[in-house]
This record gives sequence, structure tokens and C-alpha cells, in this order.
Amino acid sequence: MANEQKASIIKMNRVCKTYENGTIALENINVDIKRGEFVFIVGSSGSGKSTFIRLLLREVIPNAGTLLVNGYNVEKMQRGQIPYLRRSLGVIFQDYRLLPNKTVYENVAFAMRVIEAPRRIILRSVNSVLEVVGLREKYKCFPHQLSGGEQQRVAIARAIVNNPSLVIADEPTGNLDPETSWGIMDIFQRINKSGTTIVMATHDKNIVDTMQKRVIAIDKGHIVRDDCYGGYGYL
Amino acid sequence: MNYQTVEYFIREVMLSFKRNNWMALASVLTVTISLFILGMFFIIILNLNQMASNLESQVQISVYLKNGLSQKETQALGKKIAALNGIETVKYVSKAQAMERFQKQLGDQKYLLTALDNTNPLPDSFEITVENPNTVKDIAEKIQSFSGVDTAVFAQDVVEHLFDIARMIRIIGFSIMAVLAGATIFIISNTIRLTVFARRREIAIMKYVGATDWFIRWPFLLEGVLLGFIGGIIAAFLLNITYTALTEKIYHTIAFFPLIALYPFLHYVALSTILSGIAIGALGSTISIKRFLKV
Repeated sequence: MANEQKASIIKMNRVCKTYENGTIALENINVDIKRGEFVFIVGSSGSGKSTFIRLLLREVIPNAGTLLVNGYNVEKMQRGQIPYLRRSLGVIFQDYRLLPNKTVYENVAFAMRVIEAPRRIILRSVNSVLEVVGLREKYKCFPHQLSGGEQQRVAIARAIVNNPSLVIADEPTGNLDPETSWGIMDIFQRINKSGTTIVMATHDKNIVDTMQKRVIAIDKGHIVRDDCYGGYGYL
Repeated sequence: MNYQTVEYFIREVMLSFKRNNWMALASVLTVTISLFILGMFFIIILNLNQMASNLESQVQISVYLKNGLSQKETQALGKKIAALNGIETVKYVSKAQAMERFQKQLGDQKYLLTALDNTNPLPDSFEITVENPNTVKDIAEKIQSFSGVDTAVFAQDVVEHLFDIARMIRIIGFSIMAVLAGATIFIISNTIRLTVFARRREIAIMKYVGATDWFIRWPFLLEGVLLGFIGGIIAAFLLNITYTALTEKIYHTIAFFPLIALYPFLHYVALSTILSGIAIGALGSTISIKRFLKV
């Protein structure tokens, strides 16, 4: 277990990303995140935080440097391999991105159905993750019948239902009030305790300061701080 | 791809049919109309071809002999012609026989012959059929050069005219077919585009949770193929009815008109119509998938 904990799950080496319009989003980024870590990515809007997340999902490709995510060489990956990288990740967004015409159960099962999991296993896994996020009784509800916090919990359930070893969350509490946010953070902490790595981009100073986890601060495309047990700082 | 996935795809297609029902109906109708017209041209062209080759096989060369040939010379000429390559039959028609036939052809207008004062201006002749219609012209030219032959003629014009007509209809038909096929592909690709648009959120999520490109594409391709398939079946059905009714009507007036027999011809027509429908549907959705579905 100790060895496994030390293996890198994300490794960026001199990664640069410049967009086609000439904007330099990230420059010379070196990051090493180990399995089982809980990492906050902080920074103001336009700092390069979003690009950092999009690189991990291989929505964008680095112009230079090497990028290793969950064993995949992202920068030289073939198109056909992208789905398999994404299956090993769970993604959560600020705006939940649930399907409005599908129930809670169907929304979570959807993530398994598209990777062609057998129905029997879908049933079991969906029930168990709905238990984890505390929405077992609401499985028949449609997204519009749920509160923001509940919707985000459905999104979390969908992200973890395929047992990813890395969960990437892009401002998951951005639309939620503080109390609800803590409920979400509580779930993240439990997921992290079970061994899943969590990378979370956030604006929420309060959460970062209280959780005392590793903090990577990005500003103007550079990493300006990487503290093991940090606070939000003055960015 | 397992059973469950196939079931999922089918449900997605049905859902999209329900969601865009008017567009789906328009697509099916366009496919039907296009394929029906396409099929009618196809049937007409094939029938004209059949008629042309039918006539062609009946083409014979008439060899008119010079006056005053002895019986021996005539016989020798007949043998010489029969010895040529590709000759099927050689039949001698004497002056008298020719006159008899002419009288018969004139029928009620036989009185015209009285102007001839009982002389017979018709020459002796050979009537020749050939094995291969394409060789008619060459053989006629060869015979023309034989001594004792006045002229060797054949009904070239009729056959060539018929082929000209068939060719023209084919060209017009193919142009119309191309335009119709293009329009159909356009309409289908538009329908699929609507479906892609209606499902864009779903597609984005599918990508995030790791669906493969083909898993995302399949339902759209299937939808296009199904639209084309349904249109093809209706068109095949309509073509069947139309051709059956048409042949009945034609046979009623002209009993021995050389139309292509109903079966198995109509089976082939139906098969090619349905297959074209599927191909058009697949092409239409492929275009949309390429242009609007950024997987």
C-alpha cells in the first residue's frame, strides 16, 4: 500500500499550452501528484486553472512538455484511446451537467451504459454510489425536482460509479451555498479516504483554508505556490 | 457490441423519431418520392433496352440481285453468302414471291398495282439473318461488294433510333436521379442534424464518461439508415403496383408488346430500391455526423 501511495497519478513535465489565438494559458508547468492525494488548484479567473483541468481530460493538447495521467501519455495519445483515459477518470462540473429528461438513477446509470457495462452490474453499482452520496431514496426523481446540492451529488455519483482512480472536479461548489458546499466536501473526503485521488479547482477560500490539503496556486500561467498543507493565500 | 447496447441504440432512434416526427416524415416522403421516380426511370430504360435488342435480333439484311442473273449464278451467290462468317439463315425470295408479299402488305390498297400494267419491277432477293446483330453492318457491306448484288440493305435506322431514344432517356433519367438523390441526402442529413442538436448535452456527457466515438455515432447512422429503409420499402411497394397496372393496360391494347415480364423483374427492382434507400440514408447521416457531430 505504501508503495502504491507513492506512485504518480499525474505528472506534468515542462508543460506549455498556447491557444490558437496566441493566448499563453500555461507555461513550463511541472507538477507531480501521487495516488491517493487530495489537491486543490486555486487561482483567479483566467489564471490557467481551467486549462490545467482541460489538459487532464485531454480536451486540449499541450504544445510542449510531457503529461502523464493515470498511466496514459496524454500528449501523444491516439484519438481512439481518449475514451479509455476518460473512463479511468471521474469528472464533476460547476453546472452539474445532468440530463434533464432522465431520472437520478438513469443519469448515474448512463455513465455505465455508454461503456457497455452489463445491466446486472449497473444496478448494483448505481445503488451503491447513490448510497454513498445519500440519494438512495430519490432515485426516481428528475433533476428539476432536486436542490442544487442534490444535483451536484448526483453528478458525483455519476463520476465515481465506474470506480475511477482519479476524480477531477472543476469548481464543484461554485453554485452552492456554504452549508451545502460542506456537504459536498464531506463526500469528497470520504471518496478520498477510500483511496481515490481528488483534484479540485476552486475559488472557495474558506474550504481550502479549512481542509488543509495540498494547494497548487496558478497565476498568469505559472505555478506560483505548491504547499503540502496550505491555505488559499492572497491570490 | 452487446444485446443491451443494441437495444439502447434502437430506443434512442425511436425517441428521436418521436421528437422530430415531422422532419422524419418529410425525410421518409422525400426518399419515397425520389426512389419512386428513380425506379420508374430504371424500369423504362430497361424496357427500352429490351425492345431495342428484341428488334435488333430481328434485323435482317435484304440482298437485292441484279436483273438477268441465271439460276446457276443465283445459286452460287447464295452459297457464297451462306459461307460468310456469322450468317444464320439465307432465304431466297423470287420476283414473283416478292410481288405476292407486296400485294398482301398493300391489302385494301392493292388497286395501286394496276398502274404497273402487270409488269413486276421487284428484283429477286436473299433475306439473311445474322447470328450477332452487331455484325449486320459489316456483313451487309461485304455482300454489297459481291458481283451480281445490286444492293444489300438492312433496317439500320430503326434500331439506331431506338437506341438513341434509350440513350437519351438514360441521360435524362440519370440527371434527374442525381438531383433527386442529392436532395434526399440533403434532407436526411438535415434531419440527423436536428437529432444531433437535440442531443448535444447528452453527447458532451457521453464524451466525458468515456463513450467511444462509434458508440456516439451509431444511433445517428442507424436513424438515417432507417429513414432510407422505410422510404425504400414504400417506394418499392408503389413501383410494384404501378408496373403491374401498366403492363396490364399495355397488354390489353397491344398483346405482344415486348415488356419485361413481371417476375422476377419486380423482385430485383424492389431489392435495388430498398438498397438504394439504405445507401442514401447512410450517406445522409454520414455527412451530418462528419459536419455536426464533433466527437
